[in-house]
Amino acid sequence: MFEKSLYDLIRGLRNHKGTEKEYIDESIKECRKEIRSTDMDLKSTALMKLTYLEMFGHDMSWASFNVLEVMSSPKWRHKRTGYLAAVQSYRRDTDVLLLAENQLKKDISSPTPPVITLPLVAIPHVINPSMASSVLSDLLPRLTHSHAAIRKKTVVTLYRLALVYPETLRPAWPKIKERLLDDSEDPTVTAAIVNVICELGWRRPQDFLPLAPRLFDLLVEGGNNWMAIKLIKLFATLTPLEPRLIKKLLPPLTKIIRETSAMSLLYECISGIIQGGILEAVEGTTEGEEVARLCVGKLRGMMVIEGDANLKYVALLAFDKIVQSHPYLVSQQQDVILECIDDPDISIRMRALDLVVGMVNSDNLTAIVGRLMRQLRNAPIATSADNPANDRARATGVTPYAESDDSDAEESLRHHEQRSDQPPPLPEDYRVNVIRRILDMCSRDTYSNITDFEWYIDVLVQLVRVSPATSSSAVEEQSDFDQADDIGRGIGCELQNVAIRVKSVRPEAVDAAQSLIFVDLRDQMFPSSGNGGQGVLEYASWLVGEFASYLTKPEPVLSSLLHPTSLQLPSKTLAVYLQAFPKVFASLASNEQISWTPERKTLMSLLMARIIHFLEPLSIHPNLEVQERAVEYLELMRLASEAASGTDTGVEHGEFTEPPLLLTQAIPALFSGAELNPVAPGAQRQVPIPDDLDLDTPINPNLQYLLSQAELEGFEADEDDVYAAYTEPPESYTEAQAPVAISASERLDAPHKEPTSYQNATEDEYLDPDIIARRKAERKERYKDDPFYIDPEGDRGSGAATPLGRIVRENNTELDIDSIPIMDLELEKRGPSPGGEDIARARSPRRAPRQVEIMGDETLGSNDAPSDPSREDAISPRFATAQARGKKSLLEVDSSGLGSLSLDDDDNSGRKLTRFELERKEQEEAEMKRALAEVERLRLEMQRASERLEVKGETVVKKKKRKVRKAEVEGALPQEPAGDAEGATGDGEGEVALVKKKKKKKVKPEGGDAAEEGKEAEGVVKKKKKKRRVISMDEGAPVDAEE
Amino acid sequence: MINAVLVFNNAGQPRLTKFYTQLETSVQQRLISEIFTLVANRPNSACNFLPLPPLLVNSSKSSTPTTPHNDTPSLVTYRHYATLYFIVISTSTESPLALLDLIQVFVQALDGLFENVCELDLIFNFETLHAALAEMIVGGVVVETQLDKVIEGVRSQGTVAKRPVNEGKGGMGFAGFGRGDGNIWAGR
Repeated sequence: MFEKSLYDLIRGLRNHKGTEKEYIDESIKECRKEIRSTDMDLKSTALMKLTYLEMFGHDMSWASFNVLEVMSSPKWRHKRTGYLAAVQSYRRDTDVLLLAENQLKKDISSPTPPVITLPLVAIPHVINPSMASSVLSDLLPRLTHSHAAIRKKTVVTLYRLALVYPETLRPAWPKIKERLLDDSEDPTVTAAIVNVICELGWRRPQDFLPLAPRLFDLLVEGGNNWMAIKLIKLFATLTPLEPRLIKKLLPPLTKIIRETSAMSLLYECISGIIQGGILEAVEGTTEGEEVARLCVGKLRGMMVIEGDANLKYVALLAFDKIVQSHPYLVSQQQDVILECIDDPDISIRMRALDLVVGMVNSDNLTAIVGRLMRQLRNAPIATSADNPANDRARATGVTPYAESDDSDAEESLRHHEQRSDQPPPLPEDYRVNVIRRILDMCSRDTYSNITDFEWYIDVLVQLVRVSPATSSSAVEEQSDFDQADDIGRGIGCELQNVAIRVKSVRPEAVDAAQSLIFVDLRDQMFPSSGNGGQGVLEYASWLVGEFASYLTKPEPVLSSLLHPTSLQLPSKTLAVYLQAFPKVFASLASNEQISWTPERKTLMSLLMARIIHFLEPLSIHPNLEVQERAVEYLELMRLASEAASGTDTGVEHGEFTEPPLLLTQAIPALFSGAELNPVAPGAQRQVPIPDDLDLDTPINPNLQYLLSQAELEGFEADEDDVYAAYTEPPESYTEAQAPVAISASERLDAPHKEPTSYQNATEDEYLDPDIIARRKAERKERYKDDPFYIDPEGDRGSGAATPLGRIVRENNTELDIDSIPIMDLELEKRGPSPGGEDIARARSPRRAPRQVEIMGDETLGSNDAPSDPSREDAISPRFATAQARGKKSLLEVDSSGLGSLSLDDDDNSGRKLTRFELERKEQEEAEMKRALAEVERLRLEMQRASERLEVKGETVVKKKKRKVRKAEVEGALPQEPAGDAEGATGDGEGEVALVKKKKKKKVKPEGGDAAEEGKEAEGVVKKKKKKRRVISMDEGAPVDAEE
Repeated sequence: MINAVLVFNNAGQPRLTKFYTQLETSVQQRLISEIFTLVANRPNSACNFLPLPPLLVNSSKSSTPTTPHNDTPSLVTYRHYATLYFIVISTSTESPLALLDLIQVFVQALDGLFENVCELDLIFNFETLHAALAEMIVGGVVVETQLDKVIEGVRSQGTVAKRPVNEGKGGMGFAGFGRGDGNIWAGR
């Protein structure tokens, strides 16, 4: 048989275009066979191939024991393959780790440096707490190895030990420190130590203060940029603890900033100065001003420099870190930062977005939001193909495809970096992110940054239109959490909030809600793609209901609410709809001043009939909330309808007839009451409990009896239409029409664009034409008596727009003085501007920034001292801890264990351990002891087994023979899972054991003693699978096992 | 610290995967695929830093967005050379610009080892690729940034094989490797 090498495998892959999958499966099958061979070369090659395929997602965890076998080979080549396979394939739950520990310890103590390197590099990938303390004793001597390469890797490996088992750092730290302080140490080792200290440093900066002088020297000496960067980062965490460092650091840092040619070092210097609080410390001095100017100037330079997007990115990163502490420094750079919001690069945009949220204030809010809105409106909506979630093989693995041999894989990597040239469309999550940030910025500190709430309402409406479609799966009946996440609901919530808090714009807010509700505007108000932003309907419908008296067109609103398409809304929205139309209806019907004329009666009956028609199918809606509300209002409407038809109308014209009281009094009374005000989250809990409140006595002692009575009486009214409502099959719910579609050509008709002017140029870019048209009409109305207002609709051309200019232009030959209008300042005449029905409400005449009253949260007692803390805790902690504990990030290496470990060796003994620490320590130690005992036991068993094999050469031979037999048995059982080392359990093992027994009988007459031994050895073998493997490992490496 | 180093080609085929945390094979593949999707759509002028892939975003959302925890991987740096993408995933304690230089040193080291390196060299000698990386990064901590030391370290472990002769016509001989704008290690 001819085995494939790794080279053959790769070549083969490249030659099997289209059938890679089969080829790989075939190859893995071969590997399974080869890896069990006794020939170490073959084994190692098979492992190599598996490691290669693992890269493409083909699991090789079944081979973990074979990995260990190859690792233990005495040959460097095999060892290297084995160690690489271990690093790539061992996971936390790999059980042979326990056995690998022995091998690791042995190789660390090897005399040949390349062999030492292997475990040093591998340990960080496979380490666990029990292993850490056992390996530690072997690692420590390596800190003084003659090769610098070994020393530096040991330092890092020790750091990784400390991450899983912090106590190991205690003995290791003094030795590491010794290396660091040694001037004659190899610079590369020093650099590695600095790297490690930097990682440790941000956890426990106080422990590293004593090292500051040495670190400072290293920084001044310079030489290695990477190390210098790490040092600066480290110092930035030390300076807050030791202010005297600042004076010392400043000169070398400014020197580096001025002199270095490495941009990375320059950048880290600046960000170190800013983050380390050095700027505040030297504030006020001329030196400090100079430093500040230098830093910010350089950062600004990074932003404006042409052609290097990376610098832009990192400058934004630096600004982001200081925006909270030094807002003034950042806002100085507002112009360049705002430019970045529109950068074609999504990474830069995201950074800029983060930053901008931090630097927003009432002056720049409009400009910033304007920019973001323009972006949302103009960028193409990403298609689903661009969505990373839908892309490529999301599932388990990639098949290495067959490239033809002339592929560009030979292209030299020296080739200058290159990238594709297409601008990316706005991804969905970015859109959502932007909208959320806009809402955040605007609503911050109870809208303290907003001066013009009408503008904000327009922005909200526009946001609904640009919001991305919610992912198709997330439509209905989802968990509350996901629904709350919907961006449409976020916008709706804002609209609601503004309407309640800012009374002066309530009419406008209700107006906006009304326009969102209108069914015939739906195509215009919501994005054509998907159901994006529909979550806003829930809040809009609440607004039109609650503030029905503000509605300008209540009847169309009611018909929109009752539109058949409403039935298809998510049940949560539908429930709010159900609540809304009785309110609207009540406001329509409640006027008791108007006579109950036949027209009014007809109108009311018609409305009620429509409501009843709408509600009927909903009374059996699957959602209980919807069902309940529908049934309640259905009954109410039926009552009202009866009352209306039963009240006679006034026959004669002019005769006042009282409308039915149920319509004018009873129904409206259901919905009018106390004014709604925002309430602080903690206010409810501050309401004192009344002294005489007795929650223990039952309200009605006869409850049981009443309930049983109620059950008996339940089904008396059989004939009644209530019963019918429950039993009749729903017709209209199921046959609800689909939304009326507009023909494609109509869709293509681009909305007519209003001519632009300088007046509204910016709004034009982010608000839709119809919103702008409305704003413009309002503005025109407001300014129509203002002689200085330049009407954009008027004649074009400079200077021609004012009435004065028109005259000049019309008669440019000779000036007619008389035609120049003289304005009469008739102050009393300038009352409320007469307008059409639509703009009947008088708007504030001037839009100039005005003081708007924004309602804060209502609460009891003082605002800032939220009741007694214990009650506060009762609510929050679950949430808080859940957040703090949170899910660990995917790739995260947790270093929190180091936080509690003090490296201060002086007062180490004197340090009092808290009870918790003591308990933990005891627990850890007990665990460690158990683990060590287990390891020791296994090791002894292994040793005993191998000794038996080694001492009796005969036995080894026999065992080898048996191995062959074993292979035969496996060959004869094709249905056995091919070559699974661990899979050789159950029947397979039984078979093997059987064969062994037969064989043993044969052996017996030859040599009683040896057979006796063999029997014993086999006893061990049968007892535990693991041990059997250990033996075969030793067989594979008999020379090794002698040690 | 550095959480992972990845190399894949223009088609998303992995050429080197190194995770400094133990991670399920299937999750590794998903992460690679997500990063590839992100990186493949980058325009020419874009910077070398990627937004976090969804797999990493979801899990890090629990901490406050403005100050990511120092242990959380929050920086994805990449460079694109000819047919290969080199990716480094790291925490915020690493310096972004320095990581770019680090990738540059890695590629230069490979170039020194293979003489005019190309993707084929890395395919057929992935052990050497791993060895070179192990000379520079151990357990997520950078141990060496000097080109000659890295090359020396790999060479000390045995001869570096060239790619098989019939596999390619050799590199294309591009001079002027690197950016040459003062971004490379000045103190080297």
